[in-house]
Amino acid sequence: MVRVTGNFTSEAPLSDLAKEALLACLDDGWANPRKISQLSSKAAILRDHSLEAIAAKLSLSVSQIEVLGEIGIGHHLAISGLLSPASHLYHCATDRSEVFAIAQNHSGPVTVIPVTHNGVRQDVDHVLPGAVLALEMANNETGTIHSYDQSGTAQMERSLCAIDATTSGTRLPLPNFWNTALYDARSWGGPAGIGVLAINGEGSWRNPLPHISSSRSPQTFSLPLLVSAAVALENFDPQINRIRDLSKRLRANISSAVDDCDIAGDLETSLEHITSFSFLYCEGEELLRKLSVRGFSVDSGSACTAMDLQPSHVLAAMGVLTHGNIRITIHPDTSEQEVDRLEVAIVETVAELRGAI
Amino acid sequence: MSIVTVDATGERCPAPILAIAKALKENPTKKLFLLLSDDPATSPDIHAWARMTGNNVEICGGGKFEITRKVPT
Repeated sequence: MVRVTGNFTSEAPLSDLAKEALLACLDDGWANPRKISQLSSKAAILRDHSLEAIAAKLSLSVSQIEVLGEIGIGHHLAISGLLSPASHLYHCATDRSEVFAIAQNHSGPVTVIPVTHNGVRQDVDHVLPGAVLALEMANNETGTIHSYDQSGTAQMERSLCAIDATTSGTRLPLPNFWNTALYDARSWGGPAGIGVLAINGEGSWRNPLPHISSSRSPQTFSLPLLVSAAVALENFDPQINRIRDLSKRLRANISSAVDDCDIAGDLETSLEHITSFSFLYCEGEELLRKLSVRGFSVDSGSACTAMDLQPSHVLAAMGVLTHGNIRITIHPDTSEQEVDRLEVAIVETVAELRGAI
Repeated sequence: MSIVTVDATGERCPAPILAIAKALKENPTKKLFLLLSDDPATSPDIHAWARMTGNNVEICGGGKFEITRKVPT
């Protein structure tokens, strides 16, 4: 199989094993596992094995997890499920737009916690007891990790915590105190369209969606995608040390070769596989197009590449340059040579764009 | 003290930042500049630009940004 080369976007093709599992399950797992028939029983076995595998890898019990077919609704389930109309909701300035949407629709008070220039969440000493704290483990645009010091941990003990682990996945352990946690199968190389909502004790959580039965989630996920996600997770090797070395070299070489380059966050406080570069006086869309012509696919948070033409709220909150931005994701199967070629392409492309000014 | 006005209204990123950088280069004896921009990216970017280049910026509101050239060391 020919792999996509030069892919540094956040998405990646399924591994051969995950793809094989997906295709096999299309044949063997098409029946509704909740019905009574032999074929449904076979599908139920596939579902149960996948749930057990995922729960084990996430250090959770099967009873704690719900599978979601739509990751976007997971943020609503995770956060709104802990909120009452009067709850005080705290969330970070760099959270995903879904979290901002929940906050906008919340009738109670909302506090947005600012971040430092490195993207690290600022002190949350003022969080009121009983409040709902929406916490991202790591940011999807910059990879910045939100660690929790002693005071932060104390706040979490007194609060209801909705953890967003959609970017960090299994790369970071959950904190000691959490009420809900949301995962995205893509974070471990699984397919799009599978989320996992973990609920830590049901005393403080209720299903915020309109529902009649006692179900905790819509149960509308695809079984073949779930099986593929489980296989991807069982075989996921993030290659943290190798990718950290590649990322460290990429950051150092680009910084020394290109003047006026803004890197969002330090590698020491970031997930190793995500790096956000902004190049002064360059247009993000042009950077993407020229890199694409040279065979490299990257992401961007620049306004000119966004549907609504708004700059990245993450970069803006960190005080990082929002134009001329590219986001590099180094995947476990990305080779050293690919990173070297990308580095040359970025240096030459930025020089070309600046030379045309 | 005279002020150089740079009208980048209607321009999108990175044009307003390019415009102010060009104005500073073309007016080496001037110290104060006023950038007019309605691009939502200008506010975060002008601060990042000031941090990276050593110049000073004040937001005046209404899409106006006052830039003071950095003092040569």
